[in-house]
Amino acid sequence: MGTIRMDRRLFLKAAGVTAGAAATTQVACLSYFKKGRSAAAENREVPTTCELCPNKCSAIAVVEGGVVKKLNPNPENPKSRDMLCARGNAAIKQVYDPDRIKKPMIRMGARGEGKWKEVSWDEAFDFAAKKLGEVKAKHGPEASLWSSTEGFQEVFFKNLGLAFGSPNLVRHPTLCLASVNLAYSATFGTVPSFDLLNSKFVIMSGANRFESIITPDTMDLIGGVMERKAKLVYLDPRFTVTAAKADEWYPIKPGTDLAFILAMIHVIIKENRQSKDFVAAYTTGFDELAEHVKQYTPEWAEKETEIPAKDISRLAREFADAAPRSLYYAGRRSSWYQNDFQMRRAQAILNAIIGNWDQVGGMVPNAKLPKGEFLFMPWDEPKAPRVDEIEKHFPLAAKGDGVYLKLRENVLSGKPYPIKAWMVYKQDPMNAMPDQAKTLKMIEGMDFIGVIDVAMSDMAWYADVVFPESAYLERTDPVEVMAGIWPAVVYRQQVVKPIHDTKPNLEIIQGLAKRLGLSDYFDYTIEQWVEAEFKELPIPMAMEHMKKHGVWAASGKPTYGKTLTPDFRFVTKTGKIELFSQRLQEAGYDPLPAYTAPAQPPEDRFRLILGRVGYFTHANQTNNVWLNEFMKENDLWINPKPAERLGIRNGALVEVASSVGKVRLKARVTEEIRPDCVFMLHGFGKKSKMQSLVYNVGASDAVILETAWDKVSGNAAFHETFVKVANA
Amino acid sequence: MAMKKKRYALVLDSRKCINCKACAVACKAENQVPVGNTRNWINEARQGEYPKLRIDFEPEQCHHCEHPSCARVCPTGATWMRKDGIVLVNDDDCIGCRYCMVACPYDARYFHEESGTVHKCTLCSHRVDKGDLPACVETCPSKVRVFGDLEDPTSRVHELLATRRYRMKEPQTGNGPQLYYLL
Amino acid sequence: MHEFNWGLLIVVYLFLGGLSAGLFFAAGLANYLEVDGQPAYPRIARMGALLAPWPVALGSALLILDLGNWYRFYKLFTHFRWESPMSIGSYLLTFFTGIAFVYAYAWLPESWRKQLFAKIPATWKQAHRLNVDLAPHRKLIAMVGFPFSIGVGIYTGVLLGAVSARPFWNTNLVAQMFLFSALSSGAAALLLAMVLDKRNPIQTHETKFLITLDIVFIVLELFIILPYIIHGQLSVLAVKQALWLILGGPYTVVFWVFFLGLGLLVPLGIEVYELAPSLLKGKAFHGDRNLALVASSLVLVGGFLLRYIFVYAGQVSSFHKMGMLH
Repeated sequence: MGTIRMDRRLFLKAAGVTAGAAATTQVACLSYFKKGRSAAAENREVPTTCELCPNKCSAIAVVEGGVVKKLNPNPENPKSRDMLCARGNAAIKQVYDPDRIKKPMIRMGARGEGKWKEVSWDEAFDFAAKKLGEVKAKHGPEASLWSSTEGFQEVFFKNLGLAFGSPNLVRHPTLCLASVNLAYSATFGTVPSFDLLNSKFVIMSGANRFESIITPDTMDLIGGVMERKAKLVYLDPRFTVTAAKADEWYPIKPGTDLAFILAMIHVIIKENRQSKDFVAAYTTGFDELAEHVKQYTPEWAEKETEIPAKDISRLAREFADAAPRSLYYAGRRSSWYQNDFQMRRAQAILNAIIGNWDQVGGMVPNAKLPKGEFLFMPWDEPKAPRVDEIEKHFPLAAKGDGVYLKLRENVLSGKPYPIKAWMVYKQDPMNAMPDQAKTLKMIEGMDFIGVIDVAMSDMAWYADVVFPESAYLERTDPVEVMAGIWPAVVYRQQVVKPIHDTKPNLEIIQGLAKRLGLSDYFDYTIEQWVEAEFKELPIPMAMEHMKKHGVWAASGKPTYGKTLTPDFRFVTKTGKIELFSQRLQEAGYDPLPAYTAPAQPPEDRFRLILGRVGYFTHANQTNNVWLNEFMKENDLWINPKPAERLGIRNGALVEVASSVGKVRLKARVTEEIRPDCVFMLHGFGKKSKMQSLVYNVGASDAVILETAWDKVSGNAAFHETFVKVANA
Repeated sequence: MAMKKKRYALVLDSRKCINCKACAVACKAENQVPVGNTRNWINEARQGEYPKLRIDFEPEQCHHCEHPSCARVCPTGATWMRKDGIVLVNDDDCIGCRYCMVACPYDARYFHEESGTVHKCTLCSHRVDKGDLPACVETCPSKVRVFGDLEDPTSRVHELLATRRYRMKEPQTGNGPQLYYLL
Repeated sequence: MHEFNWGLLIVVYLFLGGLSAGLFFAAGLANYLEVDGQPAYPRIARMGALLAPWPVALGSALLILDLGNWYRFYKLFTHFRWESPMSIGSYLLTFFTGIAFVYAYAWLPESWRKQLFAKIPATWKQAHRLNVDLAPHRKLIAMVGFPFSIGVGIYTGVLLGAVSARPFWNTNLVAQMFLFSALSSGAAALLLAMVLDKRNPIQTHETKFLITLDIVFIVLELFIILPYIIHGQLSVLAVKQALWLILGGPYTVVFWVFFLGLGLLVPLGIEVYELAPSLLKGKAFHGDRNLALVASSLVLVGGFLLRYIFVYAGQVSSFHKMGMLH
């Protein structure tokens, strides 16, 4: 949001009009010459950026006869290099998915009944604007909730919410990685990247990089482990693909990773293996830390974690001795336990004391690139306070992201004030939030629900109006800077015109804005927006380069050690890396991670743990026909010993019940999981009939997950549910 | 100038394979493989008892044998081997008798319902002839497969087979498979 | 589960092809044998000759229909690949079917031939030029046809036996196994046809001939099957694993109970029981009509099941499916 004066805006407008006129003339001339080559235009290669997960890998789309036939990797992207995972390759089937939403639709019957009427965009916009207007008039603009997931076009959606006057923007981080991000921020003042490409010793708690999601980190880690003989130690209640490739796997007792880490810190400090120079120069609070960890011996940790004390001690030594090229990998989805923040804090502290900060093979603060901003008309800050009372309950959490589960709780109670309208962009709260019954109640209480999405998610199925967004291959989007050890800028440009009556998000927002009287705030085209972004970027001939290459990487090599100067000030209260955090203490939280044992399931129950698989992206893409082929339904993993006790055979239908719901799915009796846990994947058991491959197939974990969250970050805790399992 | 003889082959390091299926989807897109069929696949072997466990993954596709039994039994010669070793199916000559499918030691072929002919991995010969890599080789996050010309002493495949231990699958058939699995 | 590339159509064709080969052989043999300068079994010879071409004709039609593109079957004849049992087989099959039809034509009763050509308009002179009595050439045609009938009987086995990828098939015994089964089926079919022919009841010496023929072929078949199993069990692991399919695996019951038991041993037993008194004790041969009916039907069922078992079990047997990642 900029603060510009009216006259500059006028100038920009004039400049824009002139540019537009010039461009139009150019285009007209070009198309005159291109007439005879229209056939050639049907066969082309267009570089773009994948949107099937947040990794933003570069892809080159091959178009033949006007149809996207193949996506090839783009070797120019320094992160994704020449790789495209299964999803990246399958993006074609997101475009040519017969189940896609093809036109805006308005609900006819009851919510979730599935009776839809295809309408024109005008009708859809008018309807939504009318309903939003009604809510605004009756309850104020703050009575609207704007929930979204990250994406290049997310900014427009958020801006509409703000322009509408609502402070209630909520995003996915508190259903995902808020705890790990906050923990590292609280320690280092920023969230670093992990230089897996060069690391020699990596410990991972979960973060199943070889299976749950395929990312450049996956590539780096495989290269590290297989080619450069880096050591990989992996803690997980399941024997996953990562466990299979790791040098050492420990079936850690769920929820006790904090004990393991504290014991490691104990051993390192006791044996003086920390990086003394680094600790002295760049950290504060070491003495408090040393005192604090005295109680956390390996023998104590063995009792908590079920990892032998001698192994904990040995690993601590190996980890410290391999420094600075050793890493405790932070992970991504950290929505595990109610103490998750403190566990990640302990990780950060462990990483800090061995001095791997800003070193080759360690944690590296992200180098950024300056991106220009399109200067548009600013709006007034929304007056009302946030409905999730984030400042009161989660003072350290990122305000812009909100705390999703607290927000739901408040919406359901109606306090501090009611929320009556819910706009959703690129998100499926029905499956993303635990305790689906509560989400359904939340839906019930809304006067209006509008969903913008490419496919008919379960949330869209329960909406009042659905706005079909064009798939990424059909759109040009704002530019994205990938901060990292080796920063790059990626570009997404339209590969094929939308094959259905869909629009890019910006145009949907503009359509809504127009009816809401907010046009002035969205008075630009995507081309203008992108052009402004390119202005500040150090890319020569930016537009031409990006159209031709799709990605621009900063110069040759990544740089390390820029922050390792005596006068560098970390973005923390003390200006140093905070092992002991005063800020946490002042906010009423443990300044050093203190261990509390996780609750244990009663005798006849199991802990339900979750994870992901790289064929899909959370609850997304399970309906992609090329990906669905690899897994047509989810199943419940259960160890053979308890299975035998319960008389459950492999492939049998079982009922899994928690205190909030029950589901049925097939059992997978496997040695690859601890006897005290069961596991299921996400993204099945859909209620939307327009996800025909997974409608009613398998089960949705959202139905049985209980609501719990980490009290510092507000991040959901998805592994705290205890379930009963029996033959159905 | 006589063209030097080529012998294309794949060298695979299965240890690196994480069963992500990128190769399967890339192939599907590149070669219009129908849903329900596949030209390449990942074999899985799971062993052990909790907590001592092991999982291995092994990618596989047509082995482009030196003495392909599929080409030998084909009554019309539709299945044939190029001079550079790539075994192809000439769709026009294929009558769909499926003898080749039955004769393949690796069950690497599938019947393409729409055309009534038999298809299989072509090592993306259309890409190779342009100097590109087969789709499965290129897209892999772990770079499990290495593609190259065994007759070229500067190629990576040549180097790998000279310096590493390897095995082929089912060599006892005498087909002379050209997929080399590093040990 | 396992998907089968070759299914019932192929099984039926293999059975019908072998059946025609066996019919032709039995018919030719019946014509060749003479007593006092006269053909010993003229009615068998005629019945066999007239029946022989039809099963293989039907089988070939099924085979063509089984192709992915049936109208491309002609490509089998625009190419010849001596390494491909199917290529050689298509030519063998075609020649054999042709000769079998010619042989059948040579055995058409005079009256039937007259009726056939009466249906063709007199103006179609080319067709009427075919109105030739081939009866004097029967022996010659049979001699020309013999090698092709043996060829058809053998090649159906070679088709499978040549596939090194399938240990269940890859034995040199399978060609003989199919041949003897085909010859046995031919004799049995002929017996069945003649027993069922109410207008011309079969005579005891004819029954005796066919039963003797069938016994010979069944015994030869057993001489092939026994080593197939015994030697196979003494062979390498892949072969042992393949044989498991009929030694405990999914095809065990159908092999031992239905094929070997009902399809070979029971009819053999019946036929020996019929024949033994006249052979051993010099008593008159008493060809019971009902027993002949049962025995011949069972042999036919057995012949079909042999091919069913081989085609399906063979496709299940594979080096890499039977052994895990090794």
